[in-house]
Amino acid sequence: MRRRLSTWGIRFALLAFMILALGPIVWGLITSFTPTSALTQTPPDLSLESFTLDNYVDVLVSRGNLPDALFDSAVVATLTASLSLVLGSAAAYALARLKVPGSNKILLAVLATQMFPGIVIAIPLFIVYSQFRPLGYSLIDTHLGLSLTYLSFTLVVVIWILKGFFESIPPQLERAAAVDGASTFQTFRLVVLPISLPVLFATGVFAFIEAWNEFFFAIILTRVDVKTVPIAIAEFSGQYRTLYGEMLAAAVLASIPVVLLAIIFRRFIVKGFVEGAVKG
Amino acid sequence: MAPALLVLLGVLAYPIGASLLLGFQDATIAGGGVTSEWIGLGNYERMLSDPTFAIALRNSLYFTFVEVIAVVIISLAVALLLNHLGNRSGFFVVILLIPWALAPVANAVLWKWIYNANYGILNTVLLQLGLIDQKVVWLGDPFLALNMMLIADSWKAVPFITLLLLAGLQNVPSQLYRAARVDGASTWARFRHVTLPGLRVPILVAVVLQSIWALKVFDLVFVLTKGGPMDGTVVLNFLAWRVTFNFLDLGYGAAIANVLFGIMFILALIYVRALDPDRKRRRPAAE
Amino acid sequence: MTKRRLYIPTGFSRRSFLKRSGAAAAGLAAASMMPAWASALAQDKTTLRALVPAAPDPTPPGVPNATFSAETNAAFDAWQAANNAVVAYEDVPWPQLHDKMAANFASGVHTHDVVYMSGWVPEFADFLVPFVDDLPSGLVSDLPASSFSTVTWDGRKMGVVFTLSLLTTFYNQAMFDAEGIGAPPKDWAELLGIAEQLTKDGKYGWVLNYGETAGIGGVATYWFVFLQQAGGHLYDQNGQPDFNNEAGVDSLQMMMDLMPFTDPGSITYVGINDATNVFSAGNAAMMLNWPFMWLPANDPESSAIAGQVGAALNPAGPAGSASIDGTDAYTITQTAPDPELARKLIEFYLDPAVQKSQSIDTGWLPIRLSVLNDPEVQEKSANAKVVLEQAQYPYDSYVTPDFTEVTIAISTEIQKALTGQQDAATTIANMTDQVSAIVARRG
Repeated sequence: MRRRLSTWGIRFALLAFMILALGPIVWGLITSFTPTSALTQTPPDLSLESFTLDNYVDVLVSRGNLPDALFDSAVVATLTASLSLVLGSAAAYALARLKVPGSNKILLAVLATQMFPGIVIAIPLFIVYSQFRPLGYSLIDTHLGLSLTYLSFTLVVVIWILKGFFESIPPQLERAAAVDGASTFQTFRLVVLPISLPVLFATGVFAFIEAWNEFFFAIILTRVDVKTVPIAIAEFSGQYRTLYGEMLAAAVLASIPVVLLAIIFRRFIVKGFVEGAVKG
Repeated sequence: MAPALLVLLGVLAYPIGASLLLGFQDATIAGGGVTSEWIGLGNYERMLSDPTFAIALRNSLYFTFVEVIAVVIISLAVALLLNHLGNRSGFFVVILLIPWALAPVANAVLWKWIYNANYGILNTVLLQLGLIDQKVVWLGDPFLALNMMLIADSWKAVPFITLLLLAGLQNVPSQLYRAARVDGASTWARFRHVTLPGLRVPILVAVVLQSIWALKVFDLVFVLTKGGPMDGTVVLNFLAWRVTFNFLDLGYGAAIANVLFGIMFILALIYVRALDPDRKRRRPAAE
Repeated sequence: MTKRRLYIPTGFSRRSFLKRSGAAAAGLAAASMMPAWASALAQDKTTLRALVPAAPDPTPPGVPNATFSAETNAAFDAWQAANNAVVAYEDVPWPQLHDKMAANFASGVHTHDVVYMSGWVPEFADFLVPFVDDLPSGLVSDLPASSFSTVTWDGRKMGVVFTLSLLTTFYNQAMFDAEGIGAPPKDWAELLGIAEQLTKDGKYGWVLNYGETAGIGGVATYWFVFLQQAGGHLYDQNGQPDFNNEAGVDSLQMMMDLMPFTDPGSITYVGINDATNVFSAGNAAMMLNWPFMWLPANDPESSAIAGQVGAALNPAGPAGSASIDGTDAYTITQTAPDPELARKLIEFYLDPAVQKSQSIDTGWLPIRLSVLNDPEVQEKSANAKVVLEQAQYPYDSYVTPDFTEVTIAISTEIQKALTGQQDAATTIANMTDQVSAIVARRG
């Protein structure tokens, strides 16, 4: 009897979980397939007749800026993720292996920068970017400029998780390489990195998603050449008009890449947490 | 590699340094830079008598406190549920990842739409279920709006913490459970004496991470309520933005951000302290 | 002796992956700098950069998704050719305009020649050029003199308002007819009476977006309408708050008296169109609205009450009717290398034919009096006559350098009064204190 109850209890809990987790998403999807005029009737006209692809067409073709935004976001996010991994893994290894004095304090400092509410220095940062002009062109409105800004918070997570992971690698492997004549850097490249693949993937995806989803700096540091996806979503809410159907269609389209990424790499993400975050 | 580390730290430290400096100045924009005047602790004194700052501080602390408790408890429940399913939990992990991957802006837009007083689905559903007899203006009352914002942010925050706790649960060696069962321990006793202690570190990590993220919330406030109504959803990060960008009072905005940062820094200190003893214990084994 | 092997992966190794991604990153970085490079090479025309809102907020011709006619777009291309110029737009969602502008001005680097403003001219006065005196007199005399009040600071006229955007009263004729109400309210008493009469069966007499606190179109600016109708004003000649009097209290009280007949969601509506949606769905009888919303409110596709909408003068308070100015204006930045060309561009935007197209095609009324009186314009926008009449009465938006801060402070207090948490007198007193503090800080 107890067994039956607990099975039904589990089933009920799972059902509740599904409804709560997916409910808002499903509603967002339904909205995106309904014209704004039908949505703003009370009660909203959700009959099958009002099913439309107009919102998506509008967002992709007529207003036409979402494909560009998707491309820009992809470039920025990939840049951010690659740079984070390259720089972050080196730094994390240094912190983990090389007896850098006060590495715990450094770790704390690095963690502190992740916490910093960066919005207030957006203006000083903008000034620096627009006036610091290597080769004569500023970093404003460039993919690189935005990626560098994002680096300042993705790097932290990467370093933090990778350091924990590197520390958990048994040192025998690296000692073996050293005995065979490999330098620290070679050991790093040829021994440590290959076995860190899951964690690298996890943190890379993490950095990618952070960069993809960031809103405020994207607005301030870009103008016309670079328009990321959160900006495109926000564009549907103006001073005089808000287009709900299109806004949610844009949100759906913008979320598909990151959701897919998260799902594809989910094993790595979960394993990354196990190796990295939980073990500190 | 050490020099690279130092350069890195320099780059990362620039925002903090700039903000610390600005916090001691009365600064606003001027063509070509920022005009500033050193006023020492003037901004911080102003904070003490600023009623909006007090409101923002109160809202931030309430929001963080409640969200951390709610998210950790809910995440623990979901993690236990998924852990129970063992290998069959894969599908549900996929579902979990969807709210996590959403852009905060997209999340805010979605919930703003759900909470809409006239066309929102929340009102429609509750009316149909007979739980309310007229439409509720969810974002119309300051305290209610703050709590609705809590729900929206928690919904997005639970997946990550759940995965974190799930990883922790999977780390608890099953021999301990078996031993406990052999000793005749009930489900609840097993939970209290085997599961929870094993989750000590993951829960601590979850608490600190979630606190920091709750204190940093911005996109949600910006899109959902813009701080309204009546400053009911103004939190510290949002206030810092408003003062900096709407009033162009860069010094005061930086000071507010610094206070917020200070709060988070203390939290992080606690975290590093709490994990240190574990690390010291483990290092000898690794040698 | 144990054999130790160095693990060197073959094929897709970490090394090659990192190398490739590093190269890709460098390539992407170089590519992202390309546009500036390439366009600079192609330069022999002057580029004029303009910062404007994204459509459907007010835009000049040539902005993506703007609905100007083909003739106007052709004229725009002709203008560019004739002046050997290329106009490059940065169209930004309205809520982000102010932040971007602030960052751009702060950097001191030349980013735009022409910038759209809405209530921010005094705030950014240090970065703008007073070009109005160089405009042809024929143009200036065709503009309402009072339209310059919100773009003037310290005696310098730095902008031109390009659309007559005054709040007027929209009402639902069908709901009026159903109750036998013959005419729109002429004064406060009638406004209250009609609102009460029409509040029943889930519908309300009044709706407005009381959720917005900042700037034009926020709660504070709605109160300015009532304040002026009561004969009051915000500041005295010294720039100090001067509304802690009967006019201030009565005008606020009027808004509070309307609350029982106001759609309860109003306190959460941030955009004007949230309120307009309620009106267009036939759920509220009256509202203050901008001339631009006339076309959507009468468009069968987006409105359930198309053809039943009436426009009227704002009901008069003790001192008569009043309104506020939307202050949509174009300005020229000090960093512009060729301010004359920028000014010519603005003159083009104000050309009678372009203005007429602006009105008929995009729904934003013209500012030129001659075009406002054009029968075609009046036919397409039936509310044009009403807006013209409204312009006979005061419509000060009280724009100062701390317009945003003042309106946010005032709006937050008013919201407390509207939700019944404070009485009018206390609210007005609080508002006075806060505005005094803000003005003192600026001083």
